Amino acid sequence: MKRIKLLLISTVLMVQGTMAQDAGEILKKMDEVLYSSKDMMGKNRIVLIDKNGKEKIREAIFKQKGNDKRLFRFTKPASQDGISTLSLPNDVMYLYLPSFGKERRISSGVKSQKFAGTDFTYEDMEAKTFVEKYTGTLLGEEGDLLVLELIPKSPKSGYSKLITKVNKEHYYPVYTEYYDKGGNKIKIAKYTFKKIGKYWNSEVIEMTDLKKNHTTKMIMYDVKYDTGLNDDEFTVRKLKQ
Amino acid sequence: MEKIAELIIKGRWGIIVAVVAVTVFFGFQLTELKINADIMSSLPDDDPAALLYKDIGKEFGGNDMGMIALETDNIFKTEVLQHVKQITDTLRSIPGVSTVTSLTDILDIRGEEWGIEITRLIDEYDIPDTKEELDKLRERVFAKDMYRGAIVSEDATTTLIIYTTFDDADKQDIAKEIKENITSLNLPEKVYFAGLPMMMNDVSDLIRLDIIKLIPIVVLVIATILWFSFRSVRGIVLPLITSGIAIIWALGLMPLFGYELTIISNNIPIILFAVGSAYTIHVINRINYTFERDKRKAVITALSYIAVPVFLAAITTMIGFVSFIFGAYLLMIKDFGVFTAIGTFFAFILSVTFTPALVVALSGKEKSPKTHDNEENLSTDFLSKHVLTPIQRVLFKHTNYILVAWIILILITIGGIFMIKRSVNMQKYFKKNNPTRVAEDVMQRKFGGSQPVYIVFYGDMQSPEVLQLMIDMEHYMKKNRFVTTAKSVADLISQMNDVMGEGVKVPKEKAKIEQLWFLLEGQDIMTQLVNDDLDKGIIQSRFGSYDSKDMADFVNYIDKFIAEHSNADHRIELTGLPSVYVRMDKSLFDSQMSSLAIALVLLLVIVGLILRSFSRGLYATIPIISTIAILFGFMGYTGISLDVATVLVASVALGIGIDYSIHIITHFNHAMNKHKDIKEAMKETIMMSGKAIIINVLSVAAGFLVLLFSQMVPLQNFGLLVALSMFGSGAGALTLLPAVLILANRKESKKQNTIHQPLKREKNEAHKIIVN
Repeated sequence: MKRIKLLLISTVLMVQGTMAQDAGEILKKMDEVLYSSKDMMGKNRIVLIDKNGKEKIREAIFKQKGNDKRLFRFTKPASQDGISTLSLPNDVMYLYLPSFGKERRISSGVKSQKFAGTDFTYEDMEAKTFVEKYTGTLLGEEGDLLVLELIPKSPKSGYSKLITKVNKEHYYPVYTEYYDKGGNKIKIAKYTFKKIGKYWNSEVIEMTDLKKNHTTKMIMYDVKYDTGLNDDEFTVRKLKQ
Repeated sequence: MEKIAELIIKGRWGIIVAVVAVTVFFGFQLTELKINADIMSSLPDDDPAALLYKDIGKEFGGNDMGMIALETDNIFKTEVLQHVKQITDTLRSIPGVSTVTSLTDILDIRGEEWGIEITRLIDEYDIPDTKEELDKLRERVFAKDMYRGAIVSEDATTTLIIYTTFDDADKQDIAKEIKENITSLNLPEKVYFAGLPMMMNDVSDLIRLDIIKLIPIVVLVIATILWFSFRSVRGIVLPLITSGIAIIWALGLMPLFGYELTIISNNIPIILFAVGSAYTIHVINRINYTFERDKRKAVITALSYIAVPVFLAAITTMIGFVSFIFGAYLLMIKDFGVFTAIGTFFAFILSVTFTPALVVALSGKEKSPKTHDNEENLSTDFLSKHVLTPIQRVLFKHTNYILVAWIILILITIGGIFMIKRSVNMQKYFKKNNPTRVAEDVMQRKFGGSQPVYIVFYGDMQSPEVLQLMIDMEHYMKKNRFVTTAKSVADLISQMNDVMGEGVKVPKEKAKIEQLWFLLEGQDIMTQLVNDDLDKGIIQSRFGSYDSKDMADFVNYIDKFIAEHSNADHRIELTGLPSVYVRMDKSLFDSQMSSLAIALVLLLVIVGLILRSFSRGLYATIPIISTIAILFGFMGYTGISLDVATVLVASVALGIGIDYSIHIITHFNHAMNKHKDIKEAMKETIMMSGKAIIINVLSVAAGFLVLLFSQMVPLQNFGLLVALSMFGSGAGALTLLPAVLILANRKESKKQNTIHQPLKREKNEAHKIIVN
């Protein structure tokens, strides 16, 4: 009897063990799919939808090199034209406000802070790989999707866990639920991926804040990969142009 | 009348079945009756100040803001900060809570030499634990208006954790859950719960508590009085059953018409027990006094005599309650007036139909109906010997002295009338040890009050002129000694401007404002300060005094600024609790006057009609008007202020107290016709009606005095004052009124002996007597 129990327990442990391993590998594969291009550039349309369905639209152009250099420049609405941010390695970020004609370095220690009126927090926008950010557990499969539980590695994260569904064949995320520290589901993200050249591109990300009933649609278009962007593109001087 | 009485007796089983059926129906309705603890919903929509306050409070979430105050000797200690974090985490994990602001969860945008640092005031994962860190935190907190006096008290002993909820969330449930969860943390610091949602949760408990606690007491008190009056089970049970049914009907009617039980109307049962049982008492009393062997005949005789006086007593009482509709400021008081009047009507109807029906239906089983007569005579003999006989003796010996004594009493109390204070402060409605009041006192002491003040700006919220005007207004406001904090989007823009290296001020160019705005967008605090369309914004502030004059001065002070600066491009309006209180304060006097005037006019008409003479109608009001004068004097001397509830005492006292005078005058006229002698007539009147009046005064007063056990101070005062008025108008009806009647009749009879006088003279004489 005792032996059977032991056997059972060890089997369960083994299964869990293999699943954990699987999850780690899945995260690695996801990182490969999402962060393998040398650089990318394109345009972004950000649609903010409030609980009454009212929309606000912003447009921006962006350039990115590797994982940790990113330039973001708003073009619309007119009042925000030229507002730019430059993200550099080690959490260094600059902000440029054209009406003031000067840039300021921004340091945000508040990960759960929302980014400029969207439903994305600084944490969501962080240019860090899945492997760096989360510990994963494979919960199971749903059709052609893998269901993963992701626990943030940083204690400063605004989330207690994420449940994400990943395309089994191509390893891009399709759907993610975000849970707060109290265990309540607070946000949902839906992704539409499209292959551009050899890379999978998150054409549309729709993030909904369930508490506020507010949605942000991030639409990427005119995307070009590996155009050979120079490091010079990501300097404070460039930010002001 | 007799025919109706016979019909009632004939259809007694029908009546009983119908009453039971209706009671079952309303009993089911009663289960639908909801408690409405939202005091804001009672502010009248036809008052622009109140309406604006409700709208702005809702639109910008100010009315939904709950606060937890943590008090200790010094909050800048690691363990205290950890407790703040514990509370913050507890709040954040409760569904329906939208935002939480506390020391451990508050944004700190710092302009450093190298740039902007967007961070938290305290890193909740690295709470300061060295003296240096704690000192630095203290320095930082006291350097910024955003924190000092806003979330940390000036003396560093108290800190606030503020939360808001979502529109569709059940604010009371959340408040309850928060209280329970935080209490169960068992923190060593003192914890207080403040703000409207917390108060509403408290009020809801008070409403339940009042009902559970007071109903048994009033039943017991009235049963005791009934025992002493009737000494029979029937004499106790019938009045209680009839008023109980009237209460079920009246309260059952409320949900049918979409009304909810408020902090005032939860006392309808108490009042209806006091008022309503009196009608049945009269009916039973009359049946007992009718010496008929046949119970049926006794009931018919009694009913045909008593139905009219009871109806009159009911109608005058109803007038007192109905006058609230025209006089009261708060909707909940109007509702209370309406449903108490309806309940009074039910009690009357039941007392003249259901009671006699039941008496006859049950009489078959009762073999000897009146074994208690001797005992009753004994107990009322006490009244006759020691109270009524002396009264009627003194009446004739010292008629003038009685009059003079009353006049002196009234003159003394009139002095008190000028000392009457008015109170509109809702905090004072709660008893001193009530948690809501204690919490509000802490808010008052530590954070300069919790009375919300909103200054609303209509215009382009991104225009430099509007934002500058907001800043100017804030400076202007803070010159008032009761205003310590003020915040608006203009402050945030000024701070961001500073962070961009251009100083703490509103930029002159709109483009700069728009770009600074970009940085603020999506912050939780923005929805509390500006609307989505950016054409409306508010300055949020708090006012620290509950004194009516301070509030009126403040409103005038702000209105002056508004008059000078409001224009078509940017309109400014002031609202908030001080504005509402100022309106309420003004309306108190008007309420008192209109409610009293309406009650008085209606009563004069009705009593005039009853007594078939305007002058007798006037006589009838003499005792009660004197009582009201004394009542106001009493309020002045004792410091019981005129508030939303006590403002109604005069009308209620008028409605109930006038009955005693009606009894005396009717009986006296009746006796005069019989005896043709003032002395004899008055003796009979005092000895017979006096008894009924004294028993009635005692039972109604005792019923109202039960309100002294209420959780609400205005209702305690209301009960005390109505009881006092009952004694006053009873005493007036037994001494002052007879004195006036004796003098009036003496003069009249003298004149009638000399010349024939036209009837009109009577009125003139009456006037002279009153004036003298």
